[in-house]
Amino acid sequence: MSDALVTVTIDGIEVQVPRGTPLIEAAKQAGILVPHYCYHPSLPAPAVCRMCLVEVEKAPKLLPACVTTVTDGQVVHVNSDAALKARESVLEFLLINHPLDCPICDQAGECELQDYVFQEGRAATRYADYAKRFNPVEDFGPDVLYIPNRCILCTRCVRFMEAVAEDPVLNVSERGDRSYIGIFPDAVLDHEWAGNVVDLCPVGSLVSKDFLHKARAWDLDRTASICPGCSQGCNMTIDTRDNVVVRLRPRPNMDVNRHFMCDTGRQDYRWMNRGDRIEAPLIRAGDKLQAVDWASALDRLADTLRGADGKAVILASARASTESLGMTHRLLDGFELTAAVRVPTGHEAPLASIPNLALREERTPNVAGAELTGYTRAWDEALDQAVSAQVVVVLDEELAPDEFDRVRTAGTVVVLGTVDHPAYQAADIVLPIATMAEEHGSYVNRDGRAQVYRQAKASPGMARPAWWVAAEAAGRLAEGRAVPATAGDAIVMLGQSIPALAGLTYQSMGFTGRPVASAAASGVES
Amino acid sequence: MSTAGASASETSYQPVFTGETMAALETLFERYPTKQACMLPALWMVQEARGWISERAMAEVAEVIGVTPAYVKGVVTFYTMYHTHPVGRNVIQVCTTTPCSLCGAEAVLRTILQETGCEELGRTSTDGRFTVQEVECLGACGFATPILVNDDFIESVTPERVAGLLEGYK
Ligand code: SF4
Ligand code: SF4
Ligand code: FES
Ligand code: FES
Repeated sequence: MSDALVTVTIDGIEVQVPRGTPLIEAAKQAGILVPHYCYHPSLPAPAVCRMCLVEVEKAPKLLPACVTTVTDGQVVHVNSDAALKARESVLEFLLINHPLDCPICDQAGECELQDYVFQEGRAATRYADYAKRFNPVEDFGPDVLYIPNRCILCTRCVRFMEAVAEDPVLNVSERGDRSYIGIFPDAVLDHEWAGNVVDLCPVGSLVSKDFLHKARAWDLDRTASICPGCSQGCNMTIDTRDNVVVRLRPRPNMDVNRHFMCDTGRQDYRWMNRGDRIEAPLIRAGDKLQAVDWASALDRLADTLRGADGKAVILASARASTESLGMTHRLLDGFELTAAVRVPTGHEAPLASIPNLALREERTPNVAGAELTGYTRAWDEALDQAVSAQVVVVLDEELAPDEFDRVRTAGTVVVLGTVDHPAYQAADIVLPIATMAEEHGSYVNRDGRAQVYRQAKASPGMARPAWWVAAEAAGRLAEGRAVPATAGDAIVMLGQSIPALAGLTYQSMGFTGRPVASAAASGVES
Repeated sequence: MSTAGASASETSYQPVFTGETMAALETLFERYPTKQACMLPALWMVQEARGWISERAMAEVAEVIGVTPAYVKGVVTFYTMYHTHPVGRNVIQVCTTTPCSLCGAEAVLRTILQETGCEELGRTSTDGRFTVQEVECLGACGFATPILVNDDFIESVTPERVAGLLEGYK
């Protein structure tokens, strides 16, 4: 093993890393961030920006840390005088033409140019007397604007389109200080994963039209989440401002989505901000629904279930968490139960050069989790069953009017829903639940990887996570049945009865998830 | 406006690489390890045939070479000797790099701009006869100021010589 490992000393800190590791990655392991622009761990490294120059003992000159690989016994100084001086000069060159329009730039606050200049740049310019290069803003594609004056020509965007998306529509045009990022006139930056160039851009040169001037970076709260857009389960961050979701961005996970997410997933967040929500539990009183507190609503639900037997049907969304699906299933396990999820589909859009990464045909995040907790995809059959069932529970899925009309004939119709719907007037119990942006929960992606998403915003009114609703009702049904206090408890409890989920905890899933026990076996069968 | 221009030229675009020109390019391909490596000569052939390289022509080269138009455009705009706009019948390039500059290149340049009627760098004279450009060191620093008229290399140009030199280029 020591064969493959080499020892390097970086700013006095010794680290062991595999042979062939770039210095910049070795430094990360030593806890040192080498300033850099062109380097990105998911892109080929061209070493064009020279921002990562470091001093390596016995080397005749400074070396770029992004392409220099470690050798045994190497001694590296990231912050020696010579290295600092060189990087200060690089920054000074970059600022000759940079407009310094941070006050109106979306990137301000999360800009690598700002950060490094603040950290190790000059305090003032020596080029005050020169006019700056000027190029007009260009519309690159459906969501991407190019502001050339801010561009530092790191070429990350060009390399992403060329090497990762394999749709090379961008180039470096002209040369020297006239250079800018060009797009061929007939071409449009409309690749299904094009939005990633905005994240990759270290400065505010490529910006999202959707996010343009919506928020300052420091006003945002950032929450680790999982994209609910398809069964790929890309890791993402939900950025909220004053309880409103304003942006979704990819969160690195080398096993699922590397540093990327697709535009479909990225842009599908407006539903998280909908205002037309069910805000209080509603129970039937004569020909009307009446708003009540949770205790009364749960009592009513428990009473109803206690008095019924025979057939029950759950019509669920595969966007519900494993916790909610599992707890709802458990609530009705005394019945002759049919449980199904609806799986909407769309086209598949792979990211060319990354194996096993695509916008998937299955456009819900938790089909695998639903199957592990006892649901099938046989939606139409479940709907047929529902017509004559004693109890029908609709979980987080919006039924079409004709579907709801059929379900109404069932004994009792219980809706656990988010958005209010006129058809719900015909239900017996309507319970407000949180969306995935408003709760902690977990999904199992198509490869059997269980991943946690965190609560990013408060839920409206009295809405609660669906697992809580189901578990509380179940607790009322059976004396002494344990009721989970958190989503973390809920998954542990489900693990006690569902072998595939055994041993799953929020701690073990961490920020990047882990495979469920029988990952391969249980996966995508129907 | 660039789109309007592009679509106008698109309707009337005649490909460069047909018949003999294509055959010539095919022969050239054999001398390069990949087709892509042959991009500079291919572009040069376009410029020889058309005088300049339009965006539509870049797209044609991209197709012939098997790369994207964006890539070709990056290459074309990188090199100053490819013209991305129509130019005059004669293109004059004047060295104004430091040594020549110290020896009076600016005066030569000014005279050339006046005599040709171009007035401004990069502009084509109204009679379509000349376009004047600045160029970096032409490698004849000992013979300031060198100029390049089309493929003719002329050394030791002074403002006084300009008028006479231009005579030869209609
Ligand atoms: S637009 Fe951004 S990512 Fe692209 S080269 Fe410029 S600074 Fe780099
Ligand atoms: S591929 Fe799927 S999970 Fe990933 S960002 Fe797109 S929609 Fe979301
Ligand atoms: S990050 Fe190393 S040269 Fe750009
Ligand atoms: S500087 Fe003019 S030829 Fe070298």
